[in-house]
Amino acid sequence: MKVNRTIPPPIRPIEKPLLTPPACILLDNGLPVYPLFSGTQEICKIDFIFEAGTWQQDVPLQAALTNAMLQEGSENYSAGAIAEKFDFYGAYLQHSADHHSGTVSVIALTKHLPNLLPVIEDMVKRPIFPEKEFETIVTRRKQRFLLENEKVKVLSQKKFSEALFGAGYPYAQTTKEEDYEKLQRSRLIDFYRSFYHSNNCKIVVSGRFGDDLTVLLNHCFGGNDWGSKTPVRTTPDPNPSPDRKIFVLKPGAIQSAIRVGKTLVRKDHPDYLPLQVLITILGGYFSSRLMTNIREEKGYTYGIGAHFITLKKAGYLVIATEVDKNYEQATLNEIFLELRRLQQELIGHDELERVRQYLLGDYLRDLDGPFALAANFLGVHEYGLDYDFYEKQYRTILTITPEKLKQLAEGYLHEDTFHTVIAGRESG
Amino acid sequence: MIEFSRHQLPNGLQILVYPDYSTPMVAVDVCYHVGSKDEDPERTGFAHLFEHLMFGGSKNIPEYDIPLQQAGGENNAYTTNDMTNYYLTLPKANIETGFWLESDRMLELAFSEESLNVQRNVVIEEFKQRNLNQPYGDVWELIRDLAYRVHPYRWPTIGKEISHIAGASLDDVKSFFYRFYAPDNAALVLSGNVDVDKCLRLAEKWFGPIPARKVKKPLLPAEPEQTVFREKTVERQVPDTAIYLAFHMDDRRSRGYYVCDLISDILSGGDSSRLYQKLIKEERLFIELDAYVSGDHDQGLFLVAGKLSANVSVEQAKQAIWKELDRLKGEPVSVAELEKMKNKLETDHVLAQMNYLNMAQELATWENIEKAELINEQIEFYHAVSAADICETARRLFRAENCSQLNYLAKK
Repeated sequence: MKVNRTIPPPIRPIEKPLLTPPACILLDNGLPVYPLFSGTQEICKIDFIFEAGTWQQDVPLQAALTNAMLQEGSENYSAGAIAEKFDFYGAYLQHSADHHSGTVSVIALTKHLPNLLPVIEDMVKRPIFPEKEFETIVTRRKQRFLLENEKVKVLSQKKFSEALFGAGYPYAQTTKEEDYEKLQRSRLIDFYRSFYHSNNCKIVVSGRFGDDLTVLLNHCFGGNDWGSKTPVRTTPDPNPSPDRKIFVLKPGAIQSAIRVGKTLVRKDHPDYLPLQVLITILGGYFSSRLMTNIREEKGYTYGIGAHFITLKKAGYLVIATEVDKNYEQATLNEIFLELRRLQQELIGHDELERVRQYLLGDYLRDLDGPFALAANFLGVHEYGLDYDFYEKQYRTILTITPEKLKQLAEGYLHEDTFHTVIAGRESG
Repeated sequence: MIEFSRHQLPNGLQILVYPDYSTPMVAVDVCYHVGSKDEDPERTGFAHLFEHLMFGGSKNIPEYDIPLQQAGGENNAYTTNDMTNYYLTLPKANIETGFWLESDRMLELAFSEESLNVQRNVVIEEFKQRNLNQPYGDVWELIRDLAYRVHPYRWPTIGKEISHIAGASLDDVKSFFYRFYAPDNAALVLSGNVDVDKCLRLAEKWFGPIPARKVKKPLLPAEPEQTVFREKTVERQVPDTAIYLAFHMDDRRSRGYYVCDLISDILSGGDSSRLYQKLIKEERLFIELDAYVSGDHDQGLFLVAGKLSANVSVEQAKQAIWKELDRLKGEPVSVAELEKMKNKLETDHVLAQMNYLNMAQELATWENIEKAELINEQIEFYHAVSAADICETARRLFRAENCSQLNYLAKK
């Protein structure tokens, strides 16, 4: 029988996955451990999360460098010995600092954890911040910073964060070259003492592991030998720039990087989930309004997206693209045209159904895999929310109406509330 | 051991199925055995431009993305020197949508002047975004041009110059399709929450009727052995002066490839590696320093790439790297160092299996190299490598006559 290729196969409803919040196990000193058991491979990821981000720092680079220096030497292990241990057991040691936390993570075959956790214990409890390693790391970071500053997308994103929040606010990226030269090793030790201790830490474990892991964690991290008090920090209010349009000069740049956006609501606001759908329609997937218009119809860019960035104390919308200097103005015109269309016209039935289905698929993709479960746990826990958030998200995707979306667009997407930042070469 | 099954349709299409029931998703991956190495030297970048056109609709389906999104799916694709790989993921209930979409564009593309015009422009912007407007963005192009004289690896996948992309015509597009896009030049890989019997039924239904096109692969010119040291110096607006040493190495079907890969790990895999500990941390000659293999399927390149610390000369940098390379030739690596490399491979092998989509792509890659079964055999290849193999391969590779050196100077 000849198959009729013009008729698509029937589409079946997408099953909702079952999500179970992890238990909270307290170590003897009260340190909380959240185990997320799943997967088929005998491998684990363990995150040690300290509330020690840029929000907590009082000089630039303090949070990031303190975090990075933890693997550069401790009382019982030199930097080289730490590296050797993790590499020998085929494990990955990762460190990162963001706005609100400093994290040390290990990914390893579960069988090797008893050999690795004592090293992490020494790193987080007894780091020594060696002078030579400090100099090397600062030099390397500074050169990486200079490299990043050659990129128009980086220049525009930095200026954009400053426009939204104001210099001096922890969400504004305003680090300068001289900050690397000014940074003192002693400031890292201060920061370490204030924020890296058992009363300011949580542990998230994902993958396949046995009960013995909790015993091991308690043995290494459950004692009263590394408790302290966390200082309270006061943070200034955001101070957005009065300039709605800002240009950053990058001589010789062939393409300009564009950022258009504004602050929106936080994750606990009732409009958060409906706004997520609205922003997906605007620029959150391949057939979004912005991609269809600006890439697939006009060919101005390789890619354009609208992202709803969620931070603990703020949320913001950013539309990001890179285009040839000659398409700069035309691209801006089309971006604002698409923002107006959302306010003026009801979204059509077919488009909305497609976005619902796409988001349901995405919902499944986001929850897939053992390490994703840890990210999803933190995605609510860090924001003071619970797993009801994911139920609500599912319901919002299924039930949101064209009227509600138009009403949100009218409330949030007025052109005169946006900031536009362009990094590129001079005109003419 | 990675368990997957192989099947074949009468039209030549190879089918590989890798079940993983820990996920509610499925991946449908179609790999065509055509890459930028199969291009006309005057029309470089064409395989990749063509990849973009594959999303412009097919004979019976005017839009590719929309029905996929309606089924909860997402897709993407990539082109390398050796292959073009298309992949999509879907909730398992809607797997048939993937078969329907992929089979129709294998059957026949909707060739349109309009789609070509737009995608030409999109790819030109991609060229600018990735290469022209990035610090160090032209490094690969310079290295390939220096290291290869005749083999088509001498140009980058994105294309040698914008004019090649701008000049592509609809006739070029059509002939490329019929020349390379065919069931007998492709593999269909299914992974995730898949039922083997159902997959085979669907494959027969949707891909079975597509005619074989008796694809003849172009015979690629072999790169003659390099006999003299090559060096090129350029000056660019970048923060750090960089040095690149490129050595011709074995192809991915040879055992030698795996020895080279282990050598690159000894030199720069992880923070305990030789280059990192000695030249970045101890002697502080470099800000960044890496050794890696290009991963090309034919004879590729072994690279050492470094960014120099302030006040270090190119000559000093070069000598420091050669000292480490020479050490590999004479002094056998220790048992512990070799064991370390193999432990890392074990972890990576396990990590790779945690993601069904990654597995589909891996199987497609091995199938393109020679056969998917190599995904398991390669583990044995690595484990068989001895300290003597490493010395022997280092002596064969790390010779000045086999080296192309690019000096990328920071403009003051």
